[in-house]
Amino acid sequence: MNYSKYLSKVAARRKPSGISDMRKYLVNPSPSLVWLGSGMPNPTQFPFREVTVGLNDGEVLHLSQDMLSSGLQYGPTPGYAPLVTQLKAMVERHHSPPRWSESNLLVTVGAQDGVSKAFEMLLDPGDYVVISDPCYSDALCMLASLAPQYLAIENDDEGMVPANLRAALKLAANSEEKRMPKALYLVPNASNPTGTTMGEVRRREIYAIAQEYDLIILEDDPYYFLTYEEEQNIPPSFLSLDIDGRVLRFDSFSKIVSAGLRVAFVTGPAPLLAVMELHLQSSVICGPMFSQVLVSELLREWGEEGFSRHTAKLRIFYKNQRDAMLLAASTHLTGLCEWTVPKGGIFLWLKVVGVKDTGPMIIERGITKNVILIPGKEFVVDSSKPNQFMRAAFSCVTPEQMMKGMENLASLIREEIALQNNQA
Amino acid sequence: MDYTGYMNEVAKRREPLVIRELFGLQHGAPKDVVFLTAGAPNPETFPIVSGSLKLRDGTTLELTPDKMVDCLQYGPTPGYPPLIEQLKTITETIHTPPRWKDREVLVTTGSQSGLLMALEMMLTPGQTVLVEQPCYTGVLSVVSPYNPKYLPVESDGEGLVPSSLRAALASCSPHNKPKFLYTVPTGSNPSGAVTSEDRRREVYQICRDNDLLILEDDPYFFLHYDGKTPPTSYLSLDEDGRVLRFDSVSKVVSAGLRVGWVTGPRQLVHKMNLHKGSSVISSASMSQVVVSELLRVWGLEGLARHTAQVRQFYQNKRDSMLQAADKYLTGVCEWTVPAGGMFLWLKVLGVRDTWDMVMRRGLEGKVMLVPGHAFMTDPIRPCPYLRASFSATSTPIMHQGMKNLAELIQREKELQRMKPQQG
Repeated sequence: MNYSKYLSKVAARRKPSGISDMRKYLVNPSPSLVWLGSGMPNPTQFPFREVTVGLNDGEVLHLSQDMLSSGLQYGPTPGYAPLVTQLKAMVERHHSPPRWSESNLLVTVGAQDGVSKAFEMLLDPGDYVVISDPCYSDALCMLASLAPQYLAIENDDEGMVPANLRAALKLAANSEEKRMPKALYLVPNASNPTGTTMGEVRRREIYAIAQEYDLIILEDDPYYFLTYEEEQNIPPSFLSLDIDGRVLRFDSFSKIVSAGLRVAFVTGPAPLLAVMELHLQSSVICGPMFSQVLVSELLREWGEEGFSRHTAKLRIFYKNQRDAMLLAASTHLTGLCEWTVPKGGIFLWLKVVGVKDTGPMIIERGITKNVILIPGKEFVVDSSKPNQFMRAAFSCVTPEQMMKGMENLASLIREEIALQNNQA
Repeated sequence: MDYTGYMNEVAKRREPLVIRELFGLQHGAPKDVVFLTAGAPNPETFPIVSGSLKLRDGTTLELTPDKMVDCLQYGPTPGYPPLIEQLKTITETIHTPPRWKDREVLVTTGSQSGLLMALEMMLTPGQTVLVEQPCYTGVLSVVSPYNPKYLPVESDGEGLVPSSLRAALASCSPHNKPKFLYTVPTGSNPSGAVTSEDRRREVYQICRDNDLLILEDDPYFFLHYDGKTPPTSYLSLDEDGRVLRFDSVSKVVSAGLRVGWVTGPRQLVHKMNLHKGSSVISSASMSQVVVSELLRVWGLEGLARHTAQVRQFYQNKRDSMLQAADKYLTGVCEWTVPAGGMFLWLKVLGVRDTWDMVMRRGLEGKVMLVPGHAFMTDPIRPCPYLRASFSATSTPIMHQGMKNLAELIQREKELQRMKPQQG
């Protein structure tokens, strides 16, 4: 594939600095080579000598001197090398990407930084971007600053509807502007905010449409390990279907290991990742190496088996949270709200049948009823339109809090309906 | 000051996310409010529960289970609150900035990411960009893709040259005026110069007269040599609120933790905070907690002690490097004594351009440095300079390096004589 046609104007002008070219000489340096090229501070001045961390299973991880040195010093932009190796093995194991030898992988400071750099790589103002309706609010936020034109494709209970996607793309193709959409962004597993998971047949259809219209697919998959199916029943990722080399896949440790370490990774065609790497280099230089060393050591300590055990426990934990939330919802919201059962992730997407707009209800009156959630309008392009939906996160609340929360919410909704009727 | 005029369209379009505002409500909210807002993982699922960092001075930083939750959870976008307080105290104590109440502090993932956010907030295609020259490559890599019209400002052994700044400004088109001046005033990368206080005051006035913001990039602030008192920062002179100052722990505590901070006018820092929120969301919490704990255990006194030690260390390194240079490069190169930082900026006598000498023949010559061309805004003009780093090399290796360099230069001059003059 010719990737240069997808690049925004700024992205097309990114060039490696001469200095970064020099780093290749460091790969197997002759012992007599005197290296005076790097701007690295002297590690003897870093005040830390030893680091240990205690794990929840009782194990203690002791960072070796080498690891500590790596953790405290600037590292390579793509990521701490042992971690990159482990992550590549993980991607190969889980997805067997068809064009693996033409792909690359970069560690990012959270998946969101990867997605934002990808958007900036692909979109000039006025370029079309395909998103689902509703869409992850932070993605909308990133996109808003880039002033694209949106093709917001209505969802059903599996996510983006192919017929709607086809229709929207056809319209865009026939418009006078002759600007073809370049990028399609979606969260295929336990989507934020709807909690829907896209099945295999649907994914293949979407991929085929992307081929027809030559789109780059941004597969944002932070809940991949939080789908409540057994691991083997998770639908194949877009990356695993990617025979053309048109998928940028964003994985994250935020929901499964730690959000605060800021460790995630993007996998995709080497030419596109090369452009992203340049931008990452000029923004963070490298990610937090200390975090990357810790994640790497944790993965090494666990091995494949330990990792599977850990994610299996997570699935059980969050499934129990979901079930407690559903119990609370059916106890208090039956007749007031509608919802589908999320098959993964951490969100319940509620439709308030009798309320025209949940925005003012939540923002202005929610606190008086002791319940705060996110109004549905945060997840659509035009947030001025009335919206009947709300997103409730069930990851961090206890069953008791859920019950109280749903009770408070029911009260809030009833009062809102009364308010609406009085105003009518 | 109204800063809207400095912002590009992308920055103007950045709006606060309602979700982030709602998260913010959670701090200090009454206990019986049920928050179903954050898409955050449950801390019960975090696999790391405690941590311990031994310091070289024998003390230990304990990361208790509670602190470890802070380390592993999303944090507020501006930064880990205790750390923000500490950084504000440090900044206020060291610089006593005028208009302190009109400023904000934002933690950044290394100062480079702060620079990127500031630059990407302002750059438009084809814009005139004022940078001191030679210029830090990390900034050139952010700016160059915007096809700028570079206006380089000369610097010498005393730092940025005010008359060159005046001349540069006089030469630019009234329809394409620059928005800011970028400078590394202490231990400039690569020149090693420290801009004198007199010159800083003059530069500040020129910037005032020309409506420029000043991007004060100061990662080597603590690495100023020869017993002089700490430099007077642009921030400390900033009566108008035109300085964005970038600090970093990278050279004095750890580069790999990726902790820096930007101090500046509220309106500008808020915009940068929005960019941060829609990119990294928050800087690494664990890194911030570790730095915060370190600062807590040290206090301002301990920080001063440590930075004094680090300063002495790099000064010794500089002196060793100068000895090696004196021994092998006298008559071969010219240089001024670096008043700060980690680099020796060498001018090679008799060689028009050092690029090929290093990139093609340096490996064989057993010495690698950075060719000066990398720090120049003009992609075509030949450059006879080299940047040698003295931060992480032992004295014998420095001597070997300078010896190898002298031989490399000798061979290069012979090569130049044999080849016809090119370009």
